[in-house]
Amino acid sequence: MPFALPFDMTSLDLLMAIAAAATVLLYLFGTARLGGYLATLLHGAALAVTVAMGLDLAAGAGAIPSSLRLTVLGQQLAWTLDGLGWFFLLLTTGAAFFSSWYMAGEWGRVQQRARIQHGTLALNVLTMVLLLSAGDLLGLFIGWEFVSWAAFAMMIQAGGPATQAAYRYMLYALAGAMALFAAILVVHGAAGGFGFDQMRAALPDMSTGMLWTLFALFAGGFGVKMALVPTHLWQAPAYSYTPGASSAFLNAVSARMGLFALILSLVKLIGFDTLAGLRIPMTGIESTDILAWVAAITMVVPTYIALMQTDARMLLTWHGIGQGGYMLLGILVATPLGVAGGLLHVFNYATYQMALILAVFAVIHRTGTADLDELGGLITRMPLTYVALLMGIIGLAGLPPMNGFVSKWMIYKALIVTQQPLLSIAAFVGTLGTILSVYKLIHNIFLGQLRVEHREIREAPWSMTLPMLVLAGIGFVTGFAPGLALSIVDQAQAAMGVALLPHHLGGVVLATGSLNMLWVVGVLVGAIGVGALIFYVLGNRRFETHQYDNYAGGHFLSADIRYHFSHEFYPGLARVIGPWYRGWVVRMEHGLGVLAEVSGDLWHGVFRAAYTPLYVLIVAVLGLFWAGGAGGFGS
Amino acid sequence: MTLTAHHVVLPVALPLLVAFLLPLVGRLSDGLARLLAQLTTLAVAVIALLLWPAASDGGALVSAMGGFAAPIGIVFYADKLALMFVVALAVGLLLFRPRREHDSTKVQTLWLLLLAGGSGLVLSGDLFNIFVFYEITAVATYGLGASAHTGAGYGASLRYLLLSALGSAFALLGIALVYAAAGTLNLADLSQLAGERLTGPMGLTAFVLMVLGFGVKAELFPVNTWVPEVYTAAPTRVTAVLAGVVSKLAMVVILRLLVLLFQDPAALGFLLLLGAIGVAAGELAAFRSRDLHRTFAYSSIAQLGLMAVAFSIPGHAGVLAGIAVALHHLVVKPAFFVLADRWRGEIAGLTGAGRTSPLAAGLFVLLSLSIIGIPPLPGFWAKLMLFKAAIDAGGAGNLTAVAIILAATVIEAAYLFRVVGILYGTAPAGRPPLRFTLGELAPGLLLGAVLIAATVSVAPLGDGLTAMAADSADAAAYASRVLPGGN
Repeated sequence: MPFALPFDMTSLDLLMAIAAAATVLLYLFGTARLGGYLATLLHGAALAVTVAMGLDLAAGAGAIPSSLRLTVLGQQLAWTLDGLGWFFLLLTTGAAFFSSWYMAGEWGRVQQRARIQHGTLALNVLTMVLLLSAGDLLGLFIGWEFVSWAAFAMMIQAGGPATQAAYRYMLYALAGAMALFAAILVVHGAAGGFGFDQMRAALPDMSTGMLWTLFALFAGGFGVKMALVPTHLWQAPAYSYTPGASSAFLNAVSARMGLFALILSLVKLIGFDTLAGLRIPMTGIESTDILAWVAAITMVVPTYIALMQTDARMLLTWHGIGQGGYMLLGILVATPLGVAGGLLHVFNYATYQMALILAVFAVIHRTGTADLDELGGLITRMPLTYVALLMGIIGLAGLPPMNGFVSKWMIYKALIVTQQPLLSIAAFVGTLGTILSVYKLIHNIFLGQLRVEHREIREAPWSMTLPMLVLAGIGFVTGFAPGLALSIVDQAQAAMGVALLPHHLGGVVLATGSLNMLWVVGVLVGAIGVGALIFYVLGNRRFETHQYDNYAGGHFLSADIRYHFSHEFYPGLARVIGPWYRGWVVRMEHGLGVLAEVSGDLWHGVFRAAYTPLYVLIVAVLGLFWAGGAGGFGS
Repeated sequence: MTLTAHHVVLPVALPLLVAFLLPLVGRLSDGLARLLAQLTTLAVAVIALLLWPAASDGGALVSAMGGFAAPIGIVFYADKLALMFVVALAVGLLLFRPRREHDSTKVQTLWLLLLAGGSGLVLSGDLFNIFVFYEITAVATYGLGASAHTGAGYGASLRYLLLSALGSAFALLGIALVYAAAGTLNLADLSQLAGERLTGPMGLTAFVLMVLGFGVKAELFPVNTWVPEVYTAAPTRVTAVLAGVVSKLAMVVILRLLVLLFQDPAALGFLLLLGAIGVAAGELAAFRSRDLHRTFAYSSIAQLGLMAVAFSIPGHAGVLAGIAVALHHLVVKPAFFVLADRWRGEIAGLTGAGRTSPLAAGLFVLLSLSIIGIPPLPGFWAKLMLFKAAIDAGGAGNLTAVAIILAATVIEAAYLFRVVGILYGTAPAGRPPLRFTLGELAPGLLLGAVLIAATVSVAPLGDGLTAMAADSADAAAYASRVLPGGN
């Protein structure tokens, strides 16, 4: 314990107390003049406690218990945080800190209901703490419901299209939660309780059918939160229509709760060995193969749907779904390299996706739109936002020197080493789609001619640019020195019971080929330096030109010629991909709605039955018929 | 003041007596009649509460009419379960007492008859008396259902009357079969004879007939077709009490029948089937309905279906879950109807209503979350208990029922939160805002506060209910308390 706490509080208790206090205080005072700074302070304190917990865990603390205990109807509920939960907790408190910082200044002041936004953000943190430290399956379910509804509260506040998106999310989330409920009931039936240890002890006696059921229910239930195909339709609109800082938080960590719970249920409780033993008869296809392919499809399809988007927020949030596929795929490789790659991608993604979302919302803050057909040339007006976005897309595309490259490299490598060529190709195809679409993003917002209506736009205030630049900076530093982030990943990996991946500050050492980012970045910077040197030493023949003094297709473009290539950015691809977007998943979702309506109609009709006496007589005759049969008449 | 077993008849006798006097008093003064009726209702609640300590000491208070002991005499049996429902009924009737402007002595009289009949229903230890009180309750309900004096109200009430009359005939037929088979109608006596005399097709036939009969009031599928119409057409105060409390009283009767007379797996399976269909039918129909009254009526059918599923699980775990579901619904549904009273008509017309009445909209969200079963609200714990009981009992039927309920929960959330989305939408300009007066909303807020209090004290509440359920599920204890010399 790096610092002493009163009343025998553990650090987890302290964190819960801070999160609970933040929820109440920010709901009450979030709109006050200094409310935003209070939020930053509280979330900063939570982050500090989380870091301190990490130091404890690294020092071999094992797991951090909470003094909070409840006994309800014979059910003991307790909360304990281990390395896996801590890893996701660090992302949570970190994301909340940066979100509240972004909201603290000008952006928060122009929000209509800052109080609600601050309150729901803190509520999300609190519920996530409870989920991540759940000590048994019942606690996990309760935490899961808390997290789901807290996210709903965060999404629905904006009104308008957000209401519909949040409603759709809620239905998906609840369906997932019911699958989870069924799963824990199956466990209770087999193990006689909800305890993690009880479940582990009961596993050897479970039939194959029961294990398949559990696998399907856990994967389905938690997969909804990760928006694994085909449950992915809700996520992009729900995250996009949530106001900026909250949206960044949701993007960074909300879907990751699904990954956490998947790891907990499938890896920590059921275990890779048991899952490997679950095979579809006569095919040799393992349960994890199915999930890996779901992850692969999730990597590819949503990424290309992202490419089609004309709203910057939607473009990014669709990518978020695809990126989740990479994380899951890495973990399912089940080697130290794959698992470390998957977990590292969770961390890396949080840094660059937050930077990206915050940058896009900074653009919205200044221009009032996220429509990629309505922007352009903002590089001269919002250079800092441009830098943050540029660094973010390099990370998202998985290119050096940003951290996204390292984790993706590890995932590719793990797939290749374990000889899974088709999955590797899927990963590459996904990355190709990412590169294409992030170019569209930066081009349509920042490059080309500046629009007339945006000539007077100013850079976003420091309260907004600083958080995103710091996030992008973290993305660069952990790309340059991935060992920093890998040490954090170690905590989770150890708690999962997977062997640790040997690493150093610059990267990983493998028998099949190592990666040292210090060298990669060094060479990259060196090459650019040499290029610059050549350029500047050999004459420095540059001259400054205005944005409106341009040239395209053999034609000079001056300020009086409007020219910006943004609409229908990839028409050829669009022709191929277009049908995916309105594909069978959309029809399936629609079909379910129609089914519910039609069955509702049917029952509605039954309840309007005319000729009551006749109806009741028929019912009675049927009932008596049954009684005679069941009671043994005529036998 | 300590009350003894002799006072067990008071919750029935007192309102019945006053109900007969009330028309006379009403001729003198309407105000006096109203006061008298309300004081009587209050007195019943107080008496039931005063009986509570004695009932919890000895398990139950048993009173034999005229000093004739069972099985020859007629007995009243007041255990904690019965007293709890008597208190709930009296409190519900007070909370939703007729407003001054609709005040007529007739309504007050029916109100007291409902109290007498309802109390008798849960307190009777004898099948024939149960039937009599069931009829009194039904007659009171016919009148109250039509008391809005609208065409729809008369129509709905008439249809209910037809259905209920047929149902009563079935119940009576079932009781006659029981009498023919066992030669007694005393529940305690029957519980000892059930094993040999009430098995096989005869017993099952009697059970089916009685379930269809009492099921009319208990909103059981398929004899619940009256529910949406009556609940929509009757004054909301009446609907709140009927859906909230009276339906459960009939369900308690079915519970007694199951525990004491029919532990036959086939009988339990029959109730499970009806309950599971009720859940699916109720939620789906609610999903389809376009006004709040109907939505809540259908949702009530589904909740009663949940109770039936719970009671069909043998052992005290099922009884516990059923009581928990019943109590939860008893708090939530009347509060929902309070909201529906102001928010009448098409749901689509409520756009933005939540913004003008934030308190009411907040209450709606709270109630919705609880009825869907979101932790830590009481609805979650009730559903959890139900699922645990079903899973531990095992069997394909129970597992299917759990799956149906889980799926129905998603439908439930779909229609309730569709309303939430509409409530918080942007109201079209120029429409007069719908606002609640505090007086209108007060019963709902009170019930909401009860819900939150229950959330906070769910642990002790659960312990209390567990003890109550264990006692209610114990047929041997019932018999030994009623029959002379014990057993």
